[in-house]
Amino acid sequence: MELFLQQTANALALGGTYALLALGLAVVFSIMGLINFAHGELMTIAGYVLMYCGIASVPFVIAVPLAITASVLAAVAMERIAFRPVRNGSGATMLVTSFAVAMILQVLFQNLISARSQPVLLPALLSDSVRVFGLVIGVNKLAAIASTIVMLVFLDWFMKHQKTGVAMRAAAEDFAVARLMGIRANTVIAGAFALSGLLAGVAAVLWVSQRASVDPLMGFMPVLKAFIAAILGGLGSLRGAVAGGFLLGFIEIYLAAFLPPEMQEFRDPIGLGIVVLVLLIRPNGLIPSATLKAEKV
Amino acid sequence: MKRFLTLTAIGALLAAPAMADTLRVGLATAQTGGLATYDSPVIDGVHIAVDEINAAGGIGGTTMIELIEKDVRSDAAQTSIAAQELVDAGVSVLVLPCDADPSLAAIGIVSSAQIPAISTCASSPTLPMIGGDYMFANFPGDNVQATVSAAWAREQGHDSTYIIYSPDSQYTTMPLYFAEVFEKSGGTVLGQDTHSIGQQDFSAIATRIASLEDQPDVIMTSAYEPDFPSMLKALRAAGVTSQIIGSDGIDSPTTFSLGDAGEGVVFTTAGHALDGNPLAEFNTKFEAATGNKSETVFNAVGYDLIKVVEAAVLVTEGSTDPQKIRDAIANLEGIQGATSTITYKGTNGMPVRQVALIQVKGGEREYLGSPSPDAAMIPAPRMQ
Repeated sequence: MELFLQQTANALALGGTYALLALGLAVVFSIMGLINFAHGELMTIAGYVLMYCGIASVPFVIAVPLAITASVLAAVAMERIAFRPVRNGSGATMLVTSFAVAMILQVLFQNLISARSQPVLLPALLSDSVRVFGLVIGVNKLAAIASTIVMLVFLDWFMKHQKTGVAMRAAAEDFAVARLMGIRANTVIAGAFALSGLLAGVAAVLWVSQRASVDPLMGFMPVLKAFIAAILGGLGSLRGAVAGGFLLGFIEIYLAAFLPPEMQEFRDPIGLGIVVLVLLIRPNGLIPSATLKAEKV
Repeated sequence: MKRFLTLTAIGALLAAPAMADTLRVGLATAQTGGLATYDSPVIDGVHIAVDEINAAGGIGGTTMIELIEKDVRSDAAQTSIAAQELVDAGVSVLVLPCDADPSLAAIGIVSSAQIPAISTCASSPTLPMIGGDYMFANFPGDNVQATVSAAWAREQGHDSTYIIYSPDSQYTTMPLYFAEVFEKSGGTVLGQDTHSIGQQDFSAIATRIASLEDQPDVIMTSAYEPDFPSMLKALRAAGVTSQIIGSDGIDSPTTFSLGDAGEGVVFTTAGHALDGNPLAEFNTKFEAATGNKSETVFNAVGYDLIKVVEAAVLVTEGSTDPQKIRDAIANLEGIQGATSTITYKGTNGMPVRQVALIQVKGGEREYLGSPSPDAAMIPAPRMQ
């Protein structure tokens, strides 16, 4: 039982990180219909800021907000430079643009910083663990769970009580009508990117604090996981993204924890098999968005 | 007369490069992507050796080395494309990436063109087995590294081990060799886990090991960045205090910047700089040439690679015929490189080289020695 609870704590921490990642994709998708595959590069940018702060001996408590700010600014700049000119293009145009942005950024990191992975100095505290109700939980796991909760509460408040948040919800439901009501498209879209940058920044700090290094291609894996989680939860639905993130985290951890040793090699295909199974039963995802419907034919 | 002299002088200048032969070396290595962490420092070392040799008038004072470089982006398909392009460019020696899998992707081209190929730092002993007569490695084999680290663990009195390996690549299955040697020398293997390359989260595995009734004395893995730091931190955070043993893949600055979590980690690698030894001399050269301190032994491994090529061309007396160079490499014995002496004679292409044991102490490397492995204990190469 204790082992099960311990693994559940691990699943919560991983699922929380996935939820933040998936939310970042979903916020933009719900408004623009764009899956931003350059989302991972926002994380890489935040990671490099952490790295440079470590080299310059900037305390970690200052480095973290700096990294998150950098990610927010980069997200807004990305929208302004790359996505605004193709905003009225087809879904495919925007998708390809996002791949292009990701690749250009990767090449810039490789040429301007280093093709090799760079160590990130982290406070020793993050490698420690504490005992909570008889469970041994790593400090970085606790940080992951805590920041997920804080971010979800913040997002809920922002979407319900903030003008920009309400406008974003309206735009997600029907952008044309929302604009007729006097909502500025630029503000809403820039706001969505800023929010996704914030989520990417927080997720990056959690991600990098586990791996202790950054490399130019590190954004690929998290954005892939986020994509799976967002599809699983229901594309375009924020609640769905959170649910999808947690479900993916739980699937991965429980399989790694409880699959018999001789089956462990097939953990990833089994995990993705479960995802497919869920989608067969709920083709629009766990909590589908009200406006996007995939039809079963 | 004056005009005649000038013309002769110009003629002599034009003829001079034609007289000295040029050895074309094709580098199809990963300067970007996951393997860049290893290939890029190796190529830095290659450049230092080539510049040094060319400045002295070429190999044996006659044969200049010309490098033709291609980036294969850590991709197997791209490696085979680059290899083909280099073969078409007329290279006499090919240099392939630091992993057996992309190197093997080029093997068909290498064999049919009959050009010797040397992997920068792949350490899987199956590489020359599958690769055939034209494939050479430039690093101590996985099975030899595992024998050295397992013998060290047994000497330290460690009786039980747990291994974490990944079936995703040849290299990451090194712990299987370790387990084999560990058991053969009287230790017990408590269990094993697999991970995938690029896996971010190791908490489930760490929790499982932490909950074992008998804690293993040693945990062995050949995971490398970014997996290794994640794994190590997860193990320590879960309360696992076992000795961690890794391999050359973690010989990178990140391993030494992990603070308390990294303290005490032991790994095998290609060499260690001691006052006045060839590696220390190389490091001085590296700093003089680049202005930076060498941060990893892979710089010196690149220097070794060109030293091997140089020695082979000296044997062929300056011939750049690929077949002659291949035969010469296969018979090299006791070549002094920057990290170790290198012998190919009597092997299938996996060189006999020293293995150094390093321990992380206070963020610095501590040299534990370069013990010679017991030949009877070295496991046979395993096909994965």
